[in-house]
Amino acid sequence: MTENALGARLRDPQNVVSPRARTVWRVSAAVRAAIPALIAGCFALGGDDLPLWVWITYAVISLAYVGVMPAYRYRVHRWESTATAVYTQRGWITRERRIAPMSRVQTVDLEQHLISRLVRLATVTVTTASAAGPLKIEGLDLEVAEGLVEELTRRAEAEVGDAT
Amino acid sequence: MLLVHPVIELVRFLPLVIGVFVLGSGGDNGPWHWLGLALPIAIGLIRFATTRFRITGGQIELRRGIFGRSVLTAPLDRVRTVELTASPIHRLLALEKVEIGTGSANRGKDGRLVLDSLGSAEARRLRSDLLHEAHAESTQPAPAVSVPVSLMAFDPGWVRYAPLTTSGLVIALAALAASSQFLGTLIARTVNTSQVGHDVKALPLFVTVPAGIVTFLIVISILAIGGYLVANWGFTLTRDADAGSFHIRRGALTTREISIDQDRLRGLEIHEPLGLRLAGGGRLTAIVTGVNRRSQGSTPMVPPAPRSVVIAVGERVLEENGPLYADLIQHGPAARRRRLVRGIVPLALVPAVLLLLELTASWPLWLVLATAPLPVIGLLLGLDRYRRLGHALTPSYVVMRWGSLRGRRDALQRTGIIGWNVRQTFFQRRAGLVSLTATTAAGRQSYEILDLPEEWAAGFADAAVPGLIGQFLATPVAK
Repeated sequence: MTENALGARLRDPQNVVSPRARTVWRVSAAVRAAIPALIAGCFALGGDDLPLWVWITYAVISLAYVGVMPAYRYRVHRWESTATAVYTQRGWITRERRIAPMSRVQTVDLEQHLISRLVRLATVTVTTASAAGPLKIEGLDLEVAEGLVEELTRRAEAEVGDAT
Repeated sequence: MLLVHPVIELVRFLPLVIGVFVLGSGGDNGPWHWLGLALPIAIGLIRFATTRFRITGGQIELRRGIFGRSVLTAPLDRVRTVELTASPIHRLLALEKVEIGTGSANRGKDGRLVLDSLGSAEARRLRSDLLHEAHAESTQPAPAVSVPVSLMAFDPGWVRYAPLTTSGLVIALAALAASSQFLGTLIARTVNTSQVGHDVKALPLFVTVPAGIVTFLIVISILAIGGYLVANWGFTLTRDADAGSFHIRRGALTTREISIDQDRLRGLEIHEPLGLRLAGGGRLTAIVTGVNRRSQGSTPMVPPAPRSVVIAVGERVLEENGPLYADLIQHGPAARRRRLVRGIVPLALVPAVLLLLELTASWPLWLVLATAPLPVIGLLLGLDRYRRLGHALTPSYVVMRWGSLRGRRDALQRTGIIGWNVRQTFFQRRAGLVSLTATTAAGRQSYEILDLPEEWAAGFADAAVPGLIGQFLATPVAK
């Protein structure tokens, strides 16, 4: 270990994802939270109502989740791509930062779900020859995502060897 | 080279057919019986006629299919390992099953090139061709004759380690569980019918219980020794410098021969589970790209054996002295606290909950007393885990050691690292620790340094693989 490297810490990746991703996360969180409530509501119409405090607790927790999660995730969920490496950060309770050198990139994948297609967002997944941990960037603006994919593919192609 | 012209060979399915004949001829000879015999023979023959492989233009190609058709091709320079397996039936007929590993990350079982029942001599020739071809990419054309150097030969005295290995115990317990019903009936019958039963019943409990435990241990040890001998009899490890490969041969009944392209070796793992470690033993496995997932990508290089043997062989394989025994850097007080907490708390919960139940639901007190020593065991485990926790950087390897009950020391080639994962749970963030994982295309795919102090992690990763992580540091490293 070199002396001057001691004490140096990783900084956050430079770029945040698209601000519109917050909306997508909020909508999908709200949908996820609503489904159990709807099911319980159906039972309530049939006469099997839950006590009121259960409803209130559930509502408070869901609202807090829908309210706080997107903003928090937007702050944590960052990415960066340089000439030699890709760097991502994810995770709420467990934070995970992943770094892959450009020379070891094997596949670059662009995905769009239904909701993200409506608001022109995309997910980019970068894999290496290792089965451990692909790098995933969720909620990128479609243009940014396409540019990133194009850039990564070009750089990966320029490298020689089989990336193992 | 030997392979300028395409070689077309037939793959034989003789063992299947013969097996059916031998096993099937025992019972009554009704017409259905003959149909049952004819069907596999027919399938075997069709397969025999439709499976072929050839080596041509730098590719190995496997065609097969009875109704459908499948063609598998792999470039020869991607061949990482060649494995020859021969079951007793194969051996009787001088045949081998050849499996060729190509190191593709996402191939299932079907993606591996498997050639069943090749003639022994032919299989060996194919192997040496494949390995020479694979190696020729990086070095000069290989000479016709190569002299393998022996690195290790099996010593039957090593069976003393068999009962101490985790796998030995698992095998023994499985065998015991499988036969327990039968044994149970047998014992019940003997006890009921003979005088011995009455004598045993007459003995006091403090004699029968220890006697039972001792018998159990002896039976388990015998089973573990049997398993060890069957798997490892005749274990030899040789290096063929000209072909640039290691050859491992082992097995009493089914023989296995694995050849590993030296350029694909990414490091070694020393496995030191508690029992083996206390007896001064260990076992060595290789970290290789292209070995199948079933064995979790690790190929045994030395069976459970004395530590000195493991390290000596490992050093000759790595061609570097440090990684396998050099002192490691310990992770400091925060990591130690975390090991202790994680050792003690879960085990302390057991007596605590039982005490609560004793007070509230009047559970028996002896349960609490019996489980009271558990936290002490947790403390010892935690201390041992911390004592073993460590990492180091050598000229070409990253070394990490962890674990107590199933401890390991891994030496991973620095050039084999193809990425870093830096992980922090909520508690690790509070303790200022991180788990630094090196990802690789070989072996287990990821090798973790647990609970590294936050301020060391980035520097360590930067020193291990220069020019990768440095650009993402808050204070760039001066070069």
